[in-house]
Amino acid sequence: MPEIKAPSQEQRKKIKLGNTVILFIILVVLFALFSYVGRPFFLSVLNLVPMLNNLSFIGIVAAVLTMVMITGEIDFSIGGNIGLTAVLVAFLLDKGLPGGVVVILALCAGALMGAFNGFIVTMIGVNSMIATIGTMFVWRGIGYTLSNGESMLAMNPVIDYIGRGFLFKVIPFPIVIFIVIFAITYVVMNLSKWGRRIYAVGTNPMASYLSGINVKKIKFINFLFSGITASLGGLILTSLSAVGMPQHGQGLELVVISSIVLGGTALSGGRGEILGTLAGTLILGILYNFLTIMNVYYYYVQIVQGAILVLVVSTYEIRQSRAVKRA
Amino acid sequence: MANPEKKYSELKNFLKTPTPTLIGIYILMIIIFTIADRNFLTIQNFRGIFNNFAVFGVMAAGVGIVMIAGGFDLSIGSIAGFVGMFSSVLMMERFSVPTPLVFVIAIAIGCIFGLINGLIITKIGINPIITTLGTLSIIRGATYFWANTSPRIYNVFIQDLGRKFLFNIVPYTTIYIAVFFIILSLILKFTRFGRDLYTIGGNETLARLAGIKVDRIKIITYVISGFFCAIAGLILISQLGSGRPEYGVGAELEVLTIVVLGGVAVGGGKGDYLGIFIALVIIQTISNGMVMMDIPIFLRQVVKGALLVLVISIDALRNRRSLQLY
Repeated sequence: MPEIKAPSQEQRKKIKLGNTVILFIILVVLFALFSYVGRPFFLSVLNLVPMLNNLSFIGIVAAVLTMVMITGEIDFSIGGNIGLTAVLVAFLLDKGLPGGVVVILALCAGALMGAFNGFIVTMIGVNSMIATIGTMFVWRGIGYTLSNGESMLAMNPVIDYIGRGFLFKVIPFPIVIFIVIFAITYVVMNLSKWGRRIYAVGTNPMASYLSGINVKKIKFINFLFSGITASLGGLILTSLSAVGMPQHGQGLELVVISSIVLGGTALSGGRGEILGTLAGTLILGILYNFLTIMNVYYYYVQIVQGAILVLVVSTYEIRQSRAVKRA
Repeated sequence: MANPEKKYSELKNFLKTPTPTLIGIYILMIIIFTIADRNFLTIQNFRGIFNNFAVFGVMAAGVGIVMIAGGFDLSIGSIAGFVGMFSSVLMMERFSVPTPLVFVIAIAIGCIFGLINGLIITKIGINPIITTLGTLSIIRGATYFWANTSPRIYNVFIQDLGRKFLFNIVPYTTIYIAVFFIILSLILKFTRFGRDLYTIGGNETLARLAGIKVDRIKIITYVISGFFCAIAGLILISQLGSGRPEYGVGAELEVLTIVVLGGVAVGGGKGDYLGIFIALVIIQTISNGMVMMDIPIFLRQVVKGALLVLVISIDALRNRRSLQLY
């Protein structure tokens, strides 16, 4: 990959747009295919709604993590954060606190966790991957310690509504959260100054700093929001399962990062699309759902997961280098 | 002739690594553990500690070299699991493949997996984290998929591989690790290949412009990592006495922690095997000490994570550039 010449702004935009459009075409084709092969069950409300509910917490975490990854950082601690939040919610409800207060406290805990990651990465200057792998152990370990490794019942009208309620008695509430978070992140990343700065920071932090962007602040706030949304995901998961388990969200980081990378975000930062992440999340989601419906062993699913990851990123890289060569 | 100035700078370089911090923590831990339990500071216990880190130590040998060259290998646990499973099946009575052949096949499988990783990373140009994350789940899935048995190991040679002690004190596995680490240290220090690794890790574009065959060297590092994973897989089945498809799950995080604590820079260009060895001993001692102190298993996870964050933070603070702007 001895690419001396970087693609110009226009070419980059073309590649980016092309990737997202292709992803959505793949999504539609897969959906049609699965609906046909997996008939009649795949295309029923009984299947699609729980599937989207399950996707919702993965999706919101992925949306904000995309922003973190575009700045060139990464957050592995989301799974641990979800586990700790789930336990915390059950623990606080057990202590007799009202549901609304528990939700606020859970989100505050998420903010604290995110702020801690952000502090270590930006102020102390630790590599974000190592820092968040460390905090991943810490969060989950605290969750296990707090719950003594047991799962605790979490029943409360407010908590129940988050995961199992319906807005206007029709739309499941997790899907509402999912759509709202994607809408917000889309607006921030594509239409606001803040989003442009995030791209700038990811592309070249030095140049961004010299043009007067507060790089540390942007990275810190991204980590903060990553923590808050992970907690929100934890709340949804706790509500969906009605228990707070320290195992909640175990291994979620790999699913989320796979979805993001599938959506075209580069680990090195500066490249990525919220809509791409949306497509990536949905593609992986319907794929797993379909494989499960078809009674495929989990082991095959694992193979498919890895193969897709490598295959898709390979095509990105090959397309990218071809586009550069053509220029 | 020993040049005093050079010696001084070497000392200074050593002080810049996280190793001194680690040694400080280690001494503190030993004092605490010894006070807490007088069985801690016994030969019997330390024999166990040294034998227990065998698998992670052998894996760290490969990962160290990959990471110094700026790469990453997360597929190690899966490769070791696959190799362990495969060789234990080969040794079943039905096949009863001769032991040397098992070794050859095991190492060949490991090297082939490493080669695949290396080819995808260099020839297609995918980020090594993504690539090895992918191969991690592919290889693990493949292991589960064809292995529905858990054959016991009756082969005496394989049994002894990871369980015997020299003079009843020094585990064989520690000798392997020492030999591997010394050879790798010598390669890093005295061969052109070793110096090239640091150059590539430090600045890949520069290395390319300087005429170093970057792709070839990177592929070789992944093959070496696969080779060590194969050996780790054999030690794993030797110590556990059977082959099971879930062996080695989660090893990548443990090894990554060890290698990073040992002072290998994420992104490459820095690190040596002395640091990795010290980190290995420390992590295992702390795990052992916490077991002896009856610290709940869940809290141990917290301590391990906190230790990683703490040591890396101290390291980052001490080596901080005077002007950290972004």
